Amino acid sequence: MKLRSTTARWGAALLAIGTLLTSSARADDQRQLIESKESLYNNIYVYKEGDYYAMTFGYNRKIYTESIYNSKDDRDLPVTYTRYMTEALAYAKNVHSILEIGFGGGRTSWYLHRFLPGVSVTSVELDPEVEALAKKYFGIKDEPNFHLVNQDGRIFLMHSTDKYDIILIDAYRGPFVPFQLLTKEFYQIVKDHLSDGGVVAQNVEPTTMLFDSAVKTIQSVFPQTDFYVADGNVVTIAYDGAPKDQAALSTIAKQRQTELNLRYPLVDMLAQRRGLQANTIDPNAKVLTDDFAPVEALKAIENHNRKWPDPSASSSK
Amino acid sequence: MAGSVCEQQQISGGFVQALLLVNAFFVGSVLMGFEMLGSRYLFPYFGGGIGTWAGLISTVLLALTLGYFAGGAVVDRHPSPRVIATCCGIAAAYLAVVPASADPLMMGIMNDIGDGPSGILLAAACLLLVPLSFLGTFSPVAVRLLLRSTAETGRIAGMVYGVSTIGNIFGTLFTTFYLIPTIGSREITYVYAAVLALCALSMLIVPRPRA
Repeated sequence: MKLRSTTARWGAALLAIGTLLTSSARADDQRQLIESKESLYNNIYVYKEGDYYAMTFGYNRKIYTESIYNSKDDRDLPVTYTRYMTEALAYAKNVHSILEIGFGGGRTSWYLHRFLPGVSVTSVELDPEVEALAKKYFGIKDEPNFHLVNQDGRIFLMHSTDKYDIILIDAYRGPFVPFQLLTKEFYQIVKDHLSDGGVVAQNVEPTTMLFDSAVKTIQSVFPQTDFYVADGNVVTIAYDGAPKDQAALSTIAKQRQTELNLRYPLVDMLAQRRGLQANTIDPNAKVLTDDFAPVEALKAIENHNRKWPDPSASSSK
Repeated sequence: MAGSVCEQQQISGGFVQALLLVNAFFVGSVLMGFEMLGSRYLFPYFGGGIGTWAGLISTVLLALTLGYFAGGAVVDRHPSPRVIATCCGIAAAYLAVVPASADPLMMGIMNDIGDGPSGILLAAACLLLVPLSFLGTFSPVAVRLLLRSTAETGRIAGMVYGVSTIGNIFGTLFTTFYLIPTIGSREITYVYAAVLALCALSMLIVPRPRA
């Protein structure tokens, strides 16, 4: 009797999961799979929907979308957080060189390259197949001042003596979180590669306890951190030195906007700038180190009730 | 009188057997636990890809290969629990120096040899090969020590490998899902060294069985 009821429960659960899977697949039916590739690091899928190409890792195309490209307009950034990554331009003292760790479809770095053709943009991507597919479908071309390096981001930095004005970190890959790119030692290496007045922008997924630890870790190396809540993601901008006030940032944002004529104006995005409230970050969150970085366990703890101060409140600071 | 001597040996035999199996479990746990932990030492320098795992796994299997051959050969000449005590002791001592020396070593290998397959294999070998080779001697040695007649060879060999593999499973899961999320990798390494030191000690107090 007990066995029967357990079996029945499992059966019902499986049925429910099955229904869920087929219905979500149906919702995505207009997307057409145009290429899939199994690389050393990922299972990569490229989908096409109208003029848009999407790169995803793993079968779950709803969750693990890495990059979306508008083939009719290579200055379009369809994914909201990638626009906020460019807000680093309002913070950096100079903009001569930009480094990106985690290229994916290359949207953010290509956008920056198109609007700042005179600036050296280097992007480091671990997976050569991701690079190849980005060149095939995402409009990435070999051009002067645009450099693609096929290497692990941390290893690249450890071997490099170059300094950068802006370092963008977006190396989360679908469900995989490489712990060695989230530790205090890693951010110290990143900081050592910033030129004077340089800044770091990072995309951090905010729904789990990993966010709290990641923020604490970034703050253990960088005295200043600003946050931009961007459509389900959070972009963190970290820098050394004194805090920058809204007026100063606004001045640089306006000045660079005039110079660069960016599609997504820095001044508009600046309005979304936030600091932290006392209860935004869990007080029990620990700084991650090469020694202690339980990223998988932290990622399993959901934390949805995050309190962000009003954008207007932090702008007065 | 004769009866009590026989009883004495019976008890001591059962005790030795149990102790060897307990050791089989813990040595197996540390062996696979340290393989999982090896990834935490290697990833910052060589990346977290399938290449690093291939280096780790093949190094562990090489260590087991060496341990099996060497352990089998040595125990036939010296059929004594002291062999296990010595091997566990050396492995414990090696693990005890890993936390302080691993980072400069990994950094040096990365800089001099690179982060390709040869760098990964050399780094994995430096980290794992010595201690795990010594731990790899455990199973053939334990089989020889537990064996009293050829008629029970299959049962004894099966039991030693079975218990040690249960230890492997426990070590893998406990390290990954409890130890790594709770304490740091360096501290875990010290815990392993302490466990192995206890195994070594336990084998020193065991009386030498009749050859």
